[in-house]
Amino acid sequence: MEILAKVTTGRFGLGALSVAVVFILYIIVTNQPDNNPALLPPLTDIFNSFVTNVTSGTLFTALAASLFRIFMGFFIGTTLALILGCLIGWYKVIEYLFDPLIEALRPIPPLAYIPIIIIWFGIGEFSRVLIITIACFMVCVVNVIAGMKNVPQVYVDAAATMGASRFQVFRTVAVPAATPFIITGYRIALAAAWTTLVASELLAAQNGLGFLLQEGRRYFLTDQVMMIIVIIGACAFIMDRIFRKIQARLMQWSEARE
Amino acid sequence: MPEILVDKLTHTFGKGGPNPLTVLEDINLKFESGSFCSIVGTSGCGKSTLLKMMAGLFEPSDGQMTLDGDIIRGTDRRRGMVFQQDAVFPWMTVSRNISYGPRLRGASREEQAEIETKWVDMVGLKGFEDRWPRELSGGMRKRVDIGRVYANDPDVLLMDEPFGALDAQTKERMQADLLETWRQSKKTVIFVTHDLEEAIFLSDKIIVMSARPGRIRHIEEVSLPRPRTDEMRLTDEFIQIKRKLWAMLEH
Ligand SMILES: Nc1ncnc2c1ncn2[C@@H]1O[C@H](COP(=O)(O)OP(=O)(O)OP(=O)(O)O)[C@@H](O)[C@H]1O
Ligand SMILES: [Mg+2]
Repeated sequence: MEILAKVTTGRFGLGALSVAVVFILYIIVTNQPDNNPALLPPLTDIFNSFVTNVTSGTLFTALAASLFRIFMGFFIGTTLALILGCLIGWYKVIEYLFDPLIEALRPIPPLAYIPIIIIWFGIGEFSRVLIITIACFMVCVVNVIAGMKNVPQVYVDAAATMGASRFQVFRTVAVPAATPFIITGYRIALAAAWTTLVASELLAAQNGLGFLLQEGRRYFLTDQVMMIIVIIGACAFIMDRIFRKIQARLMQWSEARE
Repeated sequence: MPEILVDKLTHTFGKGGPNPLTVLEDINLKFESGSFCSIVGTSGCGKSTLLKMMAGLFEPSDGQMTLDGDIIRGTDRRRGMVFQQDAVFPWMTVSRNISYGPRLRGASREEQAEIETKWVDMVGLKGFEDRWPRELSGGMRKRVDIGRVYANDPDVLLMDEPFGALDAQTKERMQADLLETWRQSKKTVIFVTHDLEEAIFLSDKIIVMSARPGRIRHIEEVSLPRPRTDEMRLTDEFIQIKRKLWAMLEH
């Protein structure tokens, strides 16, 4: 009993519990005699769809295509955000130069760029990566800038009185002091990458997870749609976990815990 | 050795704005090279402001300060400062904090290690070298702060209530260590404190400030012989000075 209590009240236990409850509810609902399996396919159908797509290789191809887009968009977007955000947040001249631009573009949802990007660049791989890049960049850069602006003045002053040049203060004080914000920016960017990935693939793709979703809708394969949703959720979850591990390593010094 | 002159210095925050605040007015001071001076005064009279200006963190709105004849403008490692607030970098371990200054100037790993060992020991943090600042108490962090500035070896030491957060024993030990360091290096020390006894024990000269706007009210020369010992805290001369300064701060 004691062990059971420990397992169920621990972080993992509680998390598993909530997932299990959703599963059980789903099974109960789909087992009702008046349930329409075309709308809510039973778990077995969803699992069968998974097996079919795995054995045919479709799922693997789609996953690979989607992950590639995510990584490219995320990597390019956040790298640009890091570089530009640090400079904007630290150097007044650069801030004055870019701030109006960023403030004006910030409220625009990244998906709003899809039409213009398709008009300009067609519906190829480049366009899809570009949309994800924009999404990652916008959410990340805002956090990086905030981080650089929240560097406590006393650290800057202390470094300066020890003889640090303006650039040394930037490198040895501002950037490390801003890491909590920067990492948060990266995590939000990762979530944004997934959101825009699926949207961009829904609109214009011949492969990828979003494409499989679209296909499922077109041919009324609800089980496939459900399966892909679970896959996306699982992938995003795993990535976020990995990210938290990296965060915990980088943030050993911080009081704040995850 | 460095000598600091403060000449007709006045400082107004938000000058030209809607609600300017004059915190320092007509300050004229001379800090002889190698001397140990304390500044005392009620809270808010502008001590930190004065010290920060000497560090070069901002410029006075009027008047000027010179170090060996050169006008102080901008920060310089020759003028080190221990801040009133906690300024230890939380993203560096204790020893990395200590060797921060030398590292800025490209000190080798060996040099850094040597400096770390020396100053970690000096501020009594042996065994905590690899700890993060969040794992230390407030007083221990203050000692990291102090060690870091000592390790940077400035010519002028500006200290803003550095021992305020320490218990009586640690405080007295740190005072003695400070005096020893100062005796060996003959740095010019400018020391802000609320603790009159501390000021008398350490200083050649005590500057008493009055508040709103901060002005120089009195300068007390302390002629107690050096090296100072703890017994001196009980001598008539010591107590007399203390009584006099106390009365001044009261009114
Ligand atoms: N950056 C600032 N902008 C505006 N006013 C300020 C600023 N810094 C300090 N002041 C004001 O200047 C006055 C003097 O502040 P200062 O910190 O120099 O006092 P202090 O003598 O060090 O006090 P304490 O003993 O409490 O540390 C205060 O009234 C404070 O409100
Ligand atoms: Mg102060």
